[in-house]
Amino acid sequence: MQYLVQPTEPSLAGSPQTVHVKSYLGSEVQQPPYVLAQRCQDGEQLARVLVKRDFLQGLVSWISLGLIAPATVVYTCANAGDPPLGNSSGSGGRE
Amino acid sequence: MARQPSFNPVKQWKNFHESYEQVIAGEYDLFMPRHSAGLTIEDMKETTRQFQTLIADARKQGLKARAIGSAWSLSRAPTTTGWALNTNRLRGRMKIDPADLDAGHTGTADEKQGLYLFQCGNTVADVNKVIESKDQGRSLFTSGAANGQTIAGATSCGTHGSALRHGALHDHIVAVHLIANGDNHFWIERKSEPVMKAAWVKQLGATLKRDDDDLFNAAVVSFGSFGIIQAVVIQTVPRYLLETKPGIEKLDEKLWKAIGALDFKAHPFFGGLEPYFFQAVINPATDEVLLNANYQRADDGREPEYGLTQDPKAIGPGFDGLSTVGIILGAFKGLIPAFSQLAVKQLFDTAKKTGTSGQIYGYKPPLLHVASGSIAVALPDARKTLEALIQLYKDIGPVPLVLGCRYVKKSPALLAFNTYPRTLAISIDGVDSKSSRAFFAAAADRLEALGIGFTQHWGKVNAMTKARVLKAYGGNVAKWLKARKELLPDDKDRAVFDNAYIEERGLAG
Repeated sequence: MQYLVQPTEPSLAGSPQTVHVKSYLGSEVQQPPYVLAQRCQDGEQLARVLVKRDFLQGLVSWISLGLIAPATVVYTCANAGDPPLGNSSGSGGRE
Repeated sequence: MARQPSFNPVKQWKNFHESYEQVIAGEYDLFMPRHSAGLTIEDMKETTRQFQTLIADARKQGLKARAIGSAWSLSRAPTTTGWALNTNRLRGRMKIDPADLDAGHTGTADEKQGLYLFQCGNTVADVNKVIESKDQGRSLFTSGAANGQTIAGATSCGTHGSALRHGALHDHIVAVHLIANGDNHFWIERKSEPVMKAAWVKQLGATLKRDDDDLFNAAVVSFGSFGIIQAVVIQTVPRYLLETKPGIEKLDEKLWKAIGALDFKAHPFFGGLEPYFFQAVINPATDEVLLNANYQRADDGREPEYGLTQDPKAIGPGFDGLSTVGIILGAFKGLIPAFSQLAVKQLFDTAKKTGTSGQIYGYKPPLLHVASGSIAVALPDARKTLEALIQLYKDIGPVPLVLGCRYVKKSPALLAFNTYPRTLAISIDGVDSKSSRAFFAAAADRLEALGIGFTQHWGKVNAMTKARVLKAYGGNVAKWLKARKELLPDDKDRAVFDNAYIEERGLAG
């Protein structure tokens, strides 16, 4: 299982970051409590989030009736907007 | 103080389409000194300093390093075993003021107004958004089918498009800012086509190199082997629109004249008119060809809107859907012809529309584990080559691949994929599987056995070897190696940018 969430015009910043997560007791308890996108810095938001569960992770979840549900979250940061167009003559702020 | 590069101690690196993995020593993220203001020479100098420090540190530690943009390449051209220097935040852009042009610039008044500098991390989508804005009113004269590659990555690997009267994406470039090592960075132009005033280059602190055309023609398609390309200056054209005309036709003698010789008078589909852009996708499992003939139209002056829209109720392949498809088709080859017909419509846009180049060759649904390799031949060899590849498809059994025919004029770049006066680029696209990879390898062998000269796309799956590179490019290989040594005379500096990909092709050291 995997599902990708992304905007209509993704502008990716950096490489995809992988975080392994587990939820317990039908997601009442999570480890970590939330995925912190710590590589997204200086005003960067998220460009993409992919939540996936491979066969082994799915099997653990199925056998444990959802009491233990491991998954993998892959996030990619988004560039913080489009920088304005500069000018070779050095004005540096022409938009 | 400007934001300094940030180290990420990851050891596994994957390309965007996750078709391979590479063990690395870590990754550095680089940041724009000032994101909210227009790019200045001072910003570029700061970024240059940061790159030079990282390159010098890598050399000191005996590590390799390479710039990584969008990681779009399906080949291992961009890989390094050392530090991956992530450039996709370096998205500064500046309009070149005609007052900064060298007195020897030979361009028309329009050409002087159509020059832009883009830092390496700008994607093709970014470039289009900047230049196609109502305010700027410019266009690229050609574009690849996708827009997620960085401009430095796409051009360094030879992305080409299919504009019949134009060259490839790298043929827009008229100047390159290359960071070679801890001490030197170069502003490279053709001797025959001076661009910036020497005083402007001096202000940047770069060494101006425009003593001969070969140096520029080597550096412009060098897949990261010459150092870090911090920025390129591109020549644009006045904005135009494209009206697409898609269709499916039988592969008969009349259509062969269009596909094999670009004779558009023989087949009624074209109405006797040569398109601006032409692509024919041959499905070897059937006798059907998906045609895209895009005709140039006058600009409408509107602000273009971009983006990928999707019917919320639509059914289509998931992000990694092709992995499973590859496994299923490997086990049940009889399903391949039916799958190929379906895939052609998924992989290639068949909707009729009118828009700017950036809108037509715009955002695509992301898919992992696609397989794509391209073989280029001279147009006179087109039919013979395509018939050989169709026969190969029949010989080794159905393979989940189709043959996309695109056309591009010759590039002056020494190792350009588009090296023939009229080049047919056959894009072999489909699902990554054992049989697809076998087809890619066998295709090159088959053409070689038939004595057909060919090149292969540097950024896609390819079977180029040292012998094949020499055969395809002849004396240009020695010129390319000489240019690399001129810019990186110390073998320890060259070693920083060496990788297995260029070693296997006789281009390292």
